[in-house]
Amino acid sequence: MKLQEFLEELQDVIDTEMELEPSTPLEDIEEYDSIAVLSLMSFFDELGVDISAGEFEKFERVSDIIERVGDVVDG
Amino acid sequence: MAKLSFDDISIKAVVTTAGDKKLKIEDEASKFSYDEKSLKRLKRSMGFESRYVLSDDSVCTSDLCLASAEKIFEGLDIGPESIDALIMVTQTPDYRAPSSAIIMQHRLGLTEDTIAYDINLGCSGFINGLFTAYSMINSGLGRVLLCVGDVASRFAYERDRNLTPLMGDAGSAVLIERGGGSRSYFLLRSDGSGYRHLIIPDGGCRRPFSKESLELRVSQDGSVRRDMDMYMNGAEIFNFTIKVVPTMFDELLEFAGMGKEDMDYFVLHQANRYILRNIAKRLGVSEDRLPMDTVSIYGNQNSASIPGTINAFLSDSYSNSSLRSIFAGFGIGLSWGACIVDTESIFAPGIFHYEKKERE
Repeated sequence: MKLQEFLEELQDVIDTEMELEPSTPLEDIEEYDSIAVLSLMSFFDELGVDISAGEFEKFERVSDIIERVGDVVDG
Repeated sequence: MAKLSFDDISIKAVVTTAGDKKLKIEDEASKFSYDEKSLKRLKRSMGFESRYVLSDDSVCTSDLCLASAEKIFEGLDIGPESIDALIMVTQTPDYRAPSSAIIMQHRLGLTEDTIAYDINLGCSGFINGLFTAYSMINSGLGRVLLCVGDVASRFAYERDRNLTPLMGDAGSAVLIERGGGSRSYFLLRSDGSGYRHLIIPDGGCRRPFSKESLELRVSQDGSVRRDMDMYMNGAEIFNFTIKVVPTMFDELLEFAGMGKEDMDYFVLHQANRYILRNIAKRLGVSEDRLPMDTVSIYGNQNSASIPGTINAFLSDSYSNSSLRSIFAGFGIGLSWGACIVDTESIFAPGIFHYEKKERE
């Protein structure tokens, strides 16, 4: 998946109007709450990426999410 | 490997009695300190709307189950002496000891020949309880009364914004007996490595009740609870659910040699609307065959949520037709299980609400 495509999908998963950049701090996204974390976990699962709930607490920026999905984003 | 099948055993009656008092989320919102926007989001995603609890703190799960059982005796015109075993699945027993089921044997007027004991399970309790009942009949008993439920509103602290808005009180009674012809299939699993994700930490032998058990603890998200109350890590439970539940359906269907299209209904533990919608999407099953409104109206009824959904939303279908259903429960333990059963016009009246009777 291309980076731009992934960012748009992420926006959809988090259910926010805000345009996301890798540098966007997660705390700036109003909709990034406990429900968004559930949606993200489901998204990770669909991508075949194993993640524990605790890892989300350490994420600070959109780039942390991109890094965690690894090979899914290819450019 | 806990995949098993049974022949010629079937469910004859399902009755649920819920709490008598309706609490609306709008009226409770201030307790959980939700702002207007997050309340709207929680209503839409999680299905927060209302829940039914008991107005009288002295009423227990056993009272709800007894009310349900009496409706079965009346409805099917059977006597208490015909019951060979009473299994009570609950996490809110009358006393820490003895088993509530034994007290219920006496209160219901069952004979001394009755086998009676409790099983400590929640979300997966109906499936495990049903499995126990089927196993007992398979071993030679004729008729088993399975009671399931919790006064769940009482083990969550009133200001726990993750758990309390979901918790409803209900107790069901289910009659299982020999006969009915068809084959039933069960799959049951456990994973104790996740026991911390849904737990009442204090009050057992590991951490006895103490003064500290009453201290208010505020979590990062603003939720307030004490260590004597139920704690839930919602994200971990959700993650567990999406990983194990769809796989469990595939495995059970394969074991039974059936497909999703062979099922009339998928009645799942009603954890919250968000989880159910996610599972339904993964299974590719529409909402008319996979009901998900129970939490929004009654709250999460724990082990009574599957019978509760049948009585509240599918009473006509189960009362008047032959159905093939898949039931599935998943949660505290961690424990999960599913079964495929056929039913033939069973006694399944609409859900009742508790009415206090004068005790003799």
